[in-house]
Amino acid sequence: MRIPFPSGLIRFLMIALLVFACQPGLASWFGKDKQDLPQWGLDAAKTPTPAYVKDAAVVILFDEYLETVDAQGRATERERRVKRILKPQGRNITCNVDYDVDEKVNYFREWTIAADQKQYQAQDTDFIDEGDTSVPIMLSTRKDRVVHPPAADVGAVIVCESEKSVEPYLQETVWEIQAPIPIVFQALEVDLPSGRSYSAAWHKFPPAKPVEVAPNHWRWELKDMPALDLRDVKSHPDWVALAARMSVQWGDAAIPGIDNQWRAIGQWVTTLEANRPDPSPEITAQTQSLIAGAPDFYAKLSRITEYIQKNVRYFTVSRGIGGLQANHAADIFRNRYGDCKDKTTLLISMLQVAGIHAFYVPLDDRRGIVDPDAPSLMGNHMITAIEVPAEVQDPRLKAIVKTSDGKRCLIFDPTDERTPVGNLPSEEQGGYGILAAGASSQIIALPVLDPDANGTDRKGVFTLSPDGTLTGSVDSASIGPKGGELRTVLKYTDDKERREYWEKYVAYTLPGVTLDNFQFIQPSALDKPLEFHYKVTAHQYSHQAGPLLLVRPRVVGTFGRPFDDKPRSYPIDLDATGRWRDNFDITIPSGYVVDETPDPVSIDVGFASYHSATTAKGNLLHYEREYVVRQVEIPPTKAADFRLLESTILSDEKDSAVLKKQ
Amino acid sequence: MRISSFVRHLPLFFAITYPALVLAQFQQPTAEELKMTSDPKAPGAAAVYLNVEEVANDPIHFQSVYVRIKVLQEKGKELATVHLPYWHGNFKIEDIKARTIHSDGTVIPLVGKPEDLLLSKTSSGNGEQMQINSKVFTLPSVEVGSILEYRYELRYDDDHVSSPTWEIQRPYFVHHARYTFTPFKAFLPGGTSMYLTDAHGNSVNTLIWYKVLPKDVDMKADVAGVFHLEVTDIPATPDEEFMPPLNGLLYQVKFYYMSAHDTADFWVSEAKRWSKEVDHFAEPSKVIKEAVAGIIAPGDSDLDKAKKLYKAVQALDNTDYSRKKSGAELKLLNLKVARHAEDTWTQKSGTSQDITLLYLAMLRAAGLNANDMKVVDRSERVFAMGYLDFDQLDDDIVVLNIAGKDIALDPGEKMCPFQTIRWVHSGTAGILQGDHVRSLAITPEQAYTGNKVTRNGDLTIDEHGAVTGQLTFVMLGQEALSWRQRALRNDPDELKKQFDRSLESVVPDGIEAHIDHFLGLDDPEVNLVAIVNVHGNLGAATSKRLLLPGFFFQTRGSHPFVNEEKRIEPVDMHYGDTVTDQIVYHLPANMSVEGAPQDTKIPWQGHAVFVTKTVSKPGQITIARLFARAFSSAKPEEYQDLRGFYQKVAAADQAQLVLTKAAPAQKGN
Repeated sequence: MRIPFPSGLIRFLMIALLVFACQPGLASWFGKDKQDLPQWGLDAAKTPTPAYVKDAAVVILFDEYLETVDAQGRATERERRVKRILKPQGRNITCNVDYDVDEKVNYFREWTIAADQKQYQAQDTDFIDEGDTSVPIMLSTRKDRVVHPPAADVGAVIVCESEKSVEPYLQETVWEIQAPIPIVFQALEVDLPSGRSYSAAWHKFPPAKPVEVAPNHWRWELKDMPALDLRDVKSHPDWVALAARMSVQWGDAAIPGIDNQWRAIGQWVTTLEANRPDPSPEITAQTQSLIAGAPDFYAKLSRITEYIQKNVRYFTVSRGIGGLQANHAADIFRNRYGDCKDKTTLLISMLQVAGIHAFYVPLDDRRGIVDPDAPSLMGNHMITAIEVPAEVQDPRLKAIVKTSDGKRCLIFDPTDERTPVGNLPSEEQGGYGILAAGASSQIIALPVLDPDANGTDRKGVFTLSPDGTLTGSVDSASIGPKGGELRTVLKYTDDKERREYWEKYVAYTLPGVTLDNFQFIQPSALDKPLEFHYKVTAHQYSHQAGPLLLVRPRVVGTFGRPFDDKPRSYPIDLDATGRWRDNFDITIPSGYVVDETPDPVSIDVGFASYHSATTAKGNLLHYEREYVVRQVEIPPTKAADFRLLESTILSDEKDSAVLKKQ
Repeated sequence: MRISSFVRHLPLFFAITYPALVLAQFQQPTAEELKMTSDPKAPGAAAVYLNVEEVANDPIHFQSVYVRIKVLQEKGKELATVHLPYWHGNFKIEDIKARTIHSDGTVIPLVGKPEDLLLSKTSSGNGEQMQINSKVFTLPSVEVGSILEYRYELRYDDDHVSSPTWEIQRPYFVHHARYTFTPFKAFLPGGTSMYLTDAHGNSVNTLIWYKVLPKDVDMKADVAGVFHLEVTDIPATPDEEFMPPLNGLLYQVKFYYMSAHDTADFWVSEAKRWSKEVDHFAEPSKVIKEAVAGIIAPGDSDLDKAKKLYKAVQALDNTDYSRKKSGAELKLLNLKVARHAEDTWTQKSGTSQDITLLYLAMLRAAGLNANDMKVVDRSERVFAMGYLDFDQLDDDIVVLNIAGKDIALDPGEKMCPFQTIRWVHSGTAGILQGDHVRSLAITPEQAYTGNKVTRNGDLTIDEHGAVTGQLTFVMLGQEALSWRQRALRNDPDELKKQFDRSLESVVPDGIEAHIDHFLGLDDPEVNLVAIVNVHGNLGAATSKRLLLPGFFFQTRGSHPFVNEEKRIEPVDMHYGDTVTDQIVYHLPANMSVEGAPQDTKIPWQGHAVFVTKTVSKPGQITIARLFARAFSSAKPEEYQDLRGFYQKVAAADQAQLVLTKAAPAQKGN
């Protein structure tokens, strides 16, 4: 079982760790002494493989956690897990346990009952410790101890047991009750000292009642949990957002009432980060210099946010609680680097100098993971809520939420180096975050912005020569998160990579294209559109078919999303709201006339609409379309509408006009 | 800097009294360096190395590295974070100093302690632990225009010696680099004789180096025996599609202490050692002879004998495709790591190498003339003869000689057909036992005719473009081998899922393709066949016509080389092959063909040919496409011809099929 925020509010690390969480199993350290296979392992190994496992490569027969909490609230976690290998691709199965500097692996053992019933115990050569090197710009002290079980063939049963002392500052555990493989039986025990209470919350699963197996020692049991396998599900939300889980609090958040629990979690974050944003004289001086002469709230705000977005490099050092707790603002300012919580800290600090009040907002940048009904610290990211004075009514401040106590807060992500203040990265829209505002802490719904806050206008003028070569130019302007996305690509590529990237991007819908030149106009102010101008040559763009010449009016770009015709039970992720427009003019070669144009298309399914039309006038073929997305996620009941929309777009994008010789 | 290799030596009998090294100190940037915003020598580069200096002094167990970098674009900031991996326990990285210099000359020093992070820790069977750590630090306050400057020292135990590897070519352009190496005292002029041994217990008596350097640049040794190298204007590491492995291409110098005197001496002695070990392992013992006698018949031809024995060893458990047994298993099962071919036969299990050598033993027991050939895995590296490391040779194949004709065989590749070798072992260098043991040999190239994929389709279209039907994929050679080897590691359901995913990248948008079943999956000697069901919407309908892609499998337009005008490195496409597509469209009753792909032939003389042909008859049209690529690699000077060929193919693949609806019959009065 993973605890929440094992390395803290670090976007990149958590992505990796949650991938680990998708793998079955955690365990602990090998003891050199040979030990007999324990009875609980022998008993679990007798569990027959249920029919519902279908095509799983491995099935978890038994998975039991015991959290023993001491008087100070520190937990010791024991895990026992038994798995059966069902298919050849399951032979690379492992057990593992992750640990950091504040944790200690007490023991870690593994036994195998081979398909021929012979028993083995893993030796020290079967274990390996691996550092967390998944992200080059992150220094993490977290490690993973992995055992490669002996005799791991089809039919073998793998039995693992581990115990570790958990980080002392965490008083919550997250029981991940669903995995990419089925789980036949699982249990969680929480053994609390007398006088301590607990609270439990469930995500994507109906609450189960625990049994008090000893005084203040609680046990939850679940049977027959199906696998969550999304490999062949198109346009699905994040795996972790859909996976069932339960979280148990035994610290300050172990109190009745969901709102109270969120408040306690937010209070804990507030306390943890207290004084971190205190401004140094250098921060004060820099801030005052930035905001000098600012005519209004927005100008003041955007000068500070852009300063941080442009000047503070993303880099993180995650050591124990440093994964959760930010560095001091003065150090961040001096080094000009930091992770999400560091950037938030510096922002809060500079805003404080400017007389603007702001708060930490822990969340997960994968929509749907933070669940308002399941209070927990689980997440991977930190952003900022900036209090907007009542008198400020600026339409540029789009990402505004109203808190339960009536405050208006602008939600802003300083780690996203390219999305302007007032707007919000698409992946964060529609999710939830914890407003860490001391006693006023609460869960807040992050806004879904109007389509006009995001998108691209693209215009193309082309000439088709008689040999089928298309030449022309494309001019586009992107705003909001889409503009931010392009700015980010520009930031992290050099000239060569940029050319390759754009050639591949354009060639995806215009095969064989050569970019004759390309230019980006990237205004310094992030709230101004990013312009992209390029000239193309595409040989054999039109296709000769006997006496006819076929020309696709939709020259570049695609709005299609992956879809299929399978029955749908999961929500559909639409990625982002926005408005995208294309306008293309193609001058056809002399001697040809347009014989047919594709029929116009118009569809509106509520959550999105798509309109396109192709017209011919003289030697000009004109194509225009508009695609609007109004929601970021839709329920599976809308699958038929989604299919209709996507098949309509696909069909329109493939359509050709037919030219014939005069 | 790479983790240094080392050889252990016996305790030193002399005191180390060397003067302190003159280390590279931080230097004052020039005004030109500070104001530099781009580099004409590296146009578009995100960063450049201004200086690199590496000093290795083995007598005092010391190395130092000094680096100065200019950041020119945002992406160049990635160089601000420095990772220094090292063997924990034997080596120490110390005295890390770093600073950032802004373009206005402001200096921001690195403060704080670098992190010492674990990369991996394993235990060996004898209880020793192997741990690799990495010292990591990041420079402060880095901006575009900053100069990043750092240096550090690496020290190692007194009972070890270490020789450096100079990685001269880096991901970014290098303006100037200087390298110095003082070898261990025993290898200096007039040096004291020392008793050094390598990991195999061999006496180490020679300092050798392998170098790949720019033209007109060479390394020099001074009178004291210290090596010096100075280079300028080193281009960045190449990055092109379809490149061969980079190991032999990059500028580098590798020093190592060896028990050899020169290149020829090394390869001869190593080849003899290896050949002797092979012969010892592949001894046709009594057990082997009895096994062979039970497999072949006295009247069999030599080729039939070889085939029967090949089939027998291929049937064994190849642990490279199943699972290697752990120490605990071997002990409990009373098994042992194979030391002779008969062990592999008795245990019915072994690695690819064990099985290859077992086959060799069986061929010899059958009286056939066969030898082992140790070859380079072409997916991993290019053989460098000047680099005296026998471990460059990764794998074994068998060369059987029948009536004076050599036949290359690859029994260690499970499911590899008789007389076929996997592409990683084709056209690659190796050492052949027997008369050729003193010289290198090259394995035969894969014939493009032996690697075939035929994709036949029988599809019915309605007037709206809806399509249903079946595709048949027939695979021979490398493609079939690849899928059969996947089948060894996955169950049939998973294999089908993987095949379905591969189909997604070749069928047109709007078409769903799912495999129904495979044929011949278990028999490497027959064609592998995949039967695929398809349905979906193909093409676009207008009021009068139905427009369809001319070539069903080419709608995604992913031809290589089309966009890259220039080429620096050779092209490596692994193996030649022939891909033939033939799609029969059954047309809607009220539609006829108005336009179809023209018959085409695009040759690239001696290298490849592309042919299309369309045959139309009432109610049906058949469109065929053949792409035969006889080459697996091409030199940079051939690139323009290669690109021209691919451009023509890409253009031809854009052809369309147009169906016209029949005019409605006139109604009578």
